[in-house]
Amino acid sequence: MRIAAALFGAAAIAACAAASDPVPVAEAPAAAPAAAPADPRPLGQQLYGRHCLSCHQADGGGVPNMQPAIKGGTWVQGDARALSLFVMTGGFDSASRKDSDVGNVMPPFRQLPDAELAQILTFIRAKFGNGASPVSEAQVAEARTSLP
Amino acid sequence: MRKNVFARVVSFGCAALIAGGALAADDGLTLPAGFTATVVQEGLGAGRHLAVAANGDIYLASRKGLNAMRVDKSGKAVEVKPFGDVSGTEVRIFGDWLYVSDDVGVYRYALKKGELAPGGAKEVVVSGFPKERQHSDKTFALDPKGTLYVNVGAPSNSCQEKDRQEGSLGKNPCPILEKYGGVWVFDGTKLNQTPANGRRFATGMRNAVAIEYNAGQKALFAVIHGRDSIDTLFPALYNAQDNATRQAEEFHQIVDGGDYGWPYTFFDTKLGHRVVAPEYGGDAKKVPEAGKYPDPLVAFPAHWAPNDLLFYSGKNFPAKYQDGAFIAFHGSWNRAPEPQAGYKVVFQPMKDGKASGAYEIFADGFAGDMPDNSPNNARYRPVGLAVGADGSLYVSDSQKGRIWRISYKK
Repeated sequence: MRIAAALFGAAAIAACAAASDPVPVAEAPAAAPAAAPADPRPLGQQLYGRHCLSCHQADGGGVPNMQPAIKGGTWVQGDARALSLFVMTGGFDSASRKDSDVGNVMPPFRQLPDAELAQILTFIRAKFGNGASPVSEAQVAEARTSLP
Repeated sequence: MRKNVFARVVSFGCAALIAGGALAADDGLTLPAGFTATVVQEGLGAGRHLAVAANGDIYLASRKGLNAMRVDKSGKAVEVKPFGDVSGTEVRIFGDWLYVSDDVGVYRYALKKGELAPGGAKEVVVSGFPKERQHSDKTFALDPKGTLYVNVGAPSNSCQEKDRQEGSLGKNPCPILEKYGGVWVFDGTKLNQTPANGRRFATGMRNAVAIEYNAGQKALFAVIHGRDSIDTLFPALYNAQDNATRQAEEFHQIVDGGDYGWPYTFFDTKLGHRVVAPEYGGDAKKVPEAGKYPDPLVAFPAHWAPNDLLFYSGKNFPAKYQDGAFIAFHGSWNRAPEPQAGYKVVFQPMKDGKASGAYEIFADGFAGDMPDNSPNNARYRPVGLAVGADGSLYVSDSQKGRIWRISYKK
């Protein structure tokens, strides 16, 4: 009964979400991954989806008390070098966001190559920064020389 | 045996959820037949928990401070008074006192007859919890003797060497558990205590915002916020769909000395058992040492964010709700890019302190269409629950500070 009780929630949701599927999800064989079609979205948007979206959300609005909004703010559309450095170092506060009181720390993204960071920054500046200038791979590489 | 039991609970769960589909709408909320929702008030800041006095006065905690409300017979607030100097989450009535909390302490105000808002200064029950940035709400429960059970959330996702950083392994043992990630117990009738006056009652709890003492069962219960980001932290083991669905929000009876598994494990709703966390050598299926950590009474879906728990003993609702649990789910953010979920009040049938059937969606429709799948765009997000003397259920919201009274008419 203990197992049954523990399974109530998962079972109800899993089974009802797929009402036409008679196979209990817990016993279903793992589906073979289908070959993914080519993603038509720009690379910067794809990378945003992979690394940034779960915290900052699809509309750049962030989550109250959790992660800050990156749309409409000043620093996303501000100095590209400062922005590049902040994304590589992570932390709570960018140079121009000392008042941030959100809960979750931003992890560093220095492990990403310059070209990918440039794509991400260019995407967020265009989408959430009122059309701020693109960021080049060379700009990210130059900023990286200042990392400790 | 297991398969038979599984099939039975699945069909029970479907019946309950399908029944929920044919229900009436009220203020855009979907409620079971016979229930109606009345808007009591809105606009008092990001609402957190609330409490209702015997005379019907309502006390709301919010991130902007405390407010007291007097309502008319229709249930609408006719007088609102801000009071005190505490901005936080918890508010409970205990005897002639209003107990409240912020991120660093628990306090109380004297409730005096004829006074809507407490006029006196607050008394400090416990203060000096470290100021943290995440999971810092000091929600609490009180038992009839005045024992104070404080949720001290862990300022961490999964006790990684580097919080929320891809591939960073877990600290072992997790030092955060010495001062956080559990329930600390105090004498709630004593003043000017510090965390050092408390005793760790239970551990392995990431953040138990929804905590409640059940006087009938003489036991403490909590619904715990499960961990985030198994996919972005360990992409070789989990994908976005896994992260959106597998880590249960665990409903437990909290016993003295109990260990509920954070950060070393989580309950995997896909596998139906507890697994070792990837930070601690988990491979997405490895099970922890048998018997070390209890299975939850109920495993709720990932990221629903249980923010309040209430055992119903009021007189207004039909008999089936007696002694059952209502849980307010604030709704997810970490399911993105998968569709967000939660944003509802759930009823969990209970008997003798155990789940006695599948949970039912009690109140839904809070989030609305939620454009861009973004929590910011939710219409409402339920947070707190309270029962009035007449048996109505009150629900608070963090988006617009709305409060509803949900009542049943035969």
